[in-house]
Amino acid sequence: MKKIFIISFIAFFYLPVLAQLKVVTAYPYISDIAKKIGGNSIQVDALASGTWDPHYIVPKPSLIAKVRQADLLIINGAELEIGWMPPLIRDSKNAKVQPGASGFLDLSAHVDLIDKPENVSRAHGDVHPSGNPHYSLNPDNILILAKAICDKLCALDNQNSSLYRANLEQFASAWDAKLKEWGDKLKSMQGIKVIQYHKLFDYFLNRFGIDLVMEIEPLPGIPPTSAHIKKIIDVVKTGSVSLIITDVYHSQKPVKMISEKTKARYAVLPHDVNSVAGVTDIFSLFDEIVRRITND
Amino acid sequence: MRINKSLFIFGILLFFSAPAFCRDSTENKSANTSPFSQVKFLPDISFITDVSGLFRTIEDEEFASMEIPGFIHGGSGEEHGHSHAPANGKTGFNFNYAELALYSVVDPYFELTGIFHLSLEGFEIEEAFFNTTCLPFGFSIKAGKFLSSFGRLNSQHAHSWNFADQPLVNNALLGHHGIDEVGAQISWLAPMNFYLLCGTEVLMGANENSFGNEGFHDANDRYEVKDAKGPNLYTGFIKTSFDVNNYTIYAGFSGAYGGSRINHGLDAAGGHAVFAETWLLGADITQKWYVDSYRYVSLQAEYIYRIMDGDHYHVESDSVTEKTSLLKKQSGLYGELIIKPFRRWKIGMRGDLLPMNRVELSKIDQELPDNMYKVSAMMDCMPSEFSLFRLQYNYDRSKYFEEKLKTNHEIMLQANISIGAHGAHAF
Repeated sequence: MKKIFIISFIAFFYLPVLAQLKVVTAYPYISDIAKKIGGNSIQVDALASGTWDPHYIVPKPSLIAKVRQADLLIINGAELEIGWMPPLIRDSKNAKVQPGASGFLDLSAHVDLIDKPENVSRAHGDVHPSGNPHYSLNPDNILILAKAICDKLCALDNQNSSLYRANLEQFASAWDAKLKEWGDKLKSMQGIKVIQYHKLFDYFLNRFGIDLVMEIEPLPGIPPTSAHIKKIIDVVKTGSVSLIITDVYHSQKPVKMISEKTKARYAVLPHDVNSVAGVTDIFSLFDEIVRRITND
Repeated sequence: MRINKSLFIFGILLFFSAPAFCRDSTENKSANTSPFSQVKFLPDISFITDVSGLFRTIEDEEFASMEIPGFIHGGSGEEHGHSHAPANGKTGFNFNYAELALYSVVDPYFELTGIFHLSLEGFEIEEAFFNTTCLPFGFSIKAGKFLSSFGRLNSQHAHSWNFADQPLVNNALLGHHGIDEVGAQISWLAPMNFYLLCGTEVLMGANENSFGNEGFHDANDRYEVKDAKGPNLYTGFIKTSFDVNNYTIYAGFSGAYGGSRINHGLDAAGGHAVFAETWLLGADITQKWYVDSYRYVSLQAEYIYRIMDGDHYHVESDSVTEKTSLLKKQSGLYGELIIKPFRRWKIGMRGDLLPMNRVELSKIDQELPDNMYKVSAMMDCMPSEFSLFRLQYNYDRSKYFEEKLKTNHEIMLQANISIGAHGAHAF
């Protein structure tokens, strides 16, 4: 009697957990898309924090414990996680999520990457041989990612596939409406010239026809020298650049300095969910980027 | 003769007409001309060099013969029978090592890693092991030659250390290669919400400072200790870690047990040897507090205790070997504080201490010195993730020369440069 009681007691607490598919993602934005598709049928956890430089996440042992428990690991890919993810996957000892296994999803395989270098050399800074990995900032790609995640969830958890498909449909129609809204809001920004700190917002700017002039970093991952900043100030002044954009994790000093010297406006843009207050999901991420770019 | 000649001429004609017979390559430009190329299967290859410029107050020759009484003798870890000089051995420039590393997934079941150390004197396999990726329930096995997971620093390669040299305790008890052994390891990661890793290793135990598996005998064959049969060293470890916001704590306990066969020239006058059972117990703790992606403060400490119980053999001046009982109870610890205030700069301090050094021969305390210590300060400049320049100062009060403690000041400038595809380091 006592045994039965204990077993049912344990089962009561563990069954709902066991029934849920455990999804671990590299970044918060992936978690949010997965949550929108998976709903309550999945349990989602992101490894990286939204406020951090996505290239430099510390491979804390607590993250290994998360990967250990995952049924599905979803990464951004395109070498964005190369500096921190490999030891986590190896040390997780989780056969399900090893690259190539059914519980591993590399989202970069589903989108077209830009700036794919023909020749790769570290003399050019932190280059990504597969192309610019920040493709998630093109809102068109979000739908492709949502579909890829939906397909993966359906494959792993066939029982709930009709729910996942329905959620995807609902997400897609909401997203389409938002795409139109953002397009309208950014119409006035078309053709304006901007500079950015790191090659982070290329996909977004390309998508909405905003003219990207150059980066403040002389090479990807290499901070600018004062001589380089002087050069940029000249470019901003002579090239009628009207907006300087940067992210939350780099020092804002050079951006502020260039803005002060040139009178060009600067905007700190969120790059991921949870990177700034108020950006709690994938919708508010793009809402906030649009709001800050248009200075609404 | 004539046939030979015409054959020769025919051969020459045939050779030079070859292009005329070969298929016209311009017609089929789009075809893959190397359908069997395996370039994409190349493993990740990386190459690292470590060079230092060094100044020390003690002369090289004297330094090479200094000892830490009861721990090491004949220089700073230059073990007997060693083929290459220890790192940072000489005043002036030192080519410490070049490291060649290869890694690849083997198939859906295994990964293979090879780390090779090239020095001016030779080639060493530092690590070459395979590990499983497909075992269920959080288990994995690795086998080959690898750095033991005993302690915190032992399993890390020299280029990922925060200082140019090993802590005193690692050098004194484990030697400058650490526990780097042929054997197998099984480890298990618990299915918990926090990190909990347990593992055990079965190793051959060739380590020259605390273990050793080669037997010895004296010149008169009066005493003989046979080679160890099979694995001679067993280790176990448990490691755990959890976070509180941006603060991470990581701690581990380790133990190692094995037979010690340490022979320092027992077959000649003045030689001595040890045959004993040895326990090593280790505890380590790392605390790291992150400010953001690029800045952190970390505190790391490690303690190792050694108990060695057995026999000591000593060749007297008249070539007669004496055997006495030996008991060593020794310990050492280090603590290091690392501050990374900027993305490209790191500063750090390390304190080393050997607080316990009790050595008994025939149950008589040899009254060896204890509390040997060393203090180090360093500053790192990292132009990128692939290049590192380190300035380090050591104030060393651990080395004895002709039974007298001699203070050693060291200043070194280390350059650690890497190219190629090198795997990311674990925490």
